[in-house]
Amino acid sequence: MSVAMVLMLAVMGLAFDFGRIYIARNEAQVFTDAAAMAAASKLDGTDAGLVLARQAVAKLPMRWNLGTKSFTGVEVEFSPDKQSWARVTAPDNQVEITFLRAVGGPAVFTVPAHSVAAAKPVRLIE
Amino acid sequence: MRRRAGQRGHAMIELAVSAGVMVACLAGTVQFGYTFYIYNELVTAVGNGGRYAAMRTYRAAVPSDIEKGKAAIRNMVVYGDSHPAPNASPQVANLKPEQVEVDWVMDDSGTQPAAVNVTIADYTVDAAFGLFRFTGRPAVEYPFVGRFAPAESEP
Repeated sequence: MSVAMVLMLAVMGLAFDFGRIYIARNEAQVFTDAAAMAAASKLDGTDAGLVLARQAVAKLPMRWNLGTKSFTGVEVEFSPDKQSWARVTAPDNQVEITFLRAVGGPAVFTVPAHSVAAAKPVRLIE
Repeated sequence: MRRRAGQRGHAMIELAVSAGVMVACLAGTVQFGYTFYIYNELVTAVGNGGRYAAMRTYRAAVPSDIEKGKAAIRNMVVYGDSHPAPNASPQVANLKPEQVEVDWVMDDSGTQPAAVNVTIADYTVDAAFGLFRFTGRPAVEYPFVGRFAPAESEP
């Protein structure tokens, strides 16, 4: 019975915990994609452009963990010339593990994401 | 080793209790697993639609052009194609364009789009053993980096 229970928790953990981890990963990736584009669109080669870029990232209303948590610890980096590209990293998205923890898994699982966007993106002709 | 009649009865009760627990656990696993799968698909769909909206041309010769543009964005979210074939099937089960909300965020001048919000307004997942309803999520906001052509009409 106890062996079956451990197996059952492992199966539930695979479905529940990994499901949440994959969602968090996807949400973080979509956020960094949008944030990198927002930051890159403000670059103009000046320090004021970098400030605007950081503000644009901070203003994004997107959330993770099934749309319930704000992104924290977001890092924004720029090309040395301050006008070519921006890179955004969301390093601190920690998913709390529910079932896999009971069978030896970690208590939290971190799902970072990062994206790079060019300041002059390709535009759709459509 | 022979079992007494009482022991056989105990095993039956044990099986009945454990089977109930196991079926409940499996049902929950299927329900949450499927719901998470669908939510993940919705995140991908709004992300793709948001990126498309951010990079397409904004046309507004007449008010209906803005609506046509929004319809193309909704189609991109639902079908992965701004102008889908009549028999196109949605990328996420039972998702319809009217369940997708598209809002332009205008800049300080109020004339030019600064960003676009794409949101799943109301979607219910039928996960075999129960329903999960998502309202206002997942949602994305992308900066508008496309071509601004207010005098042009949507084709």
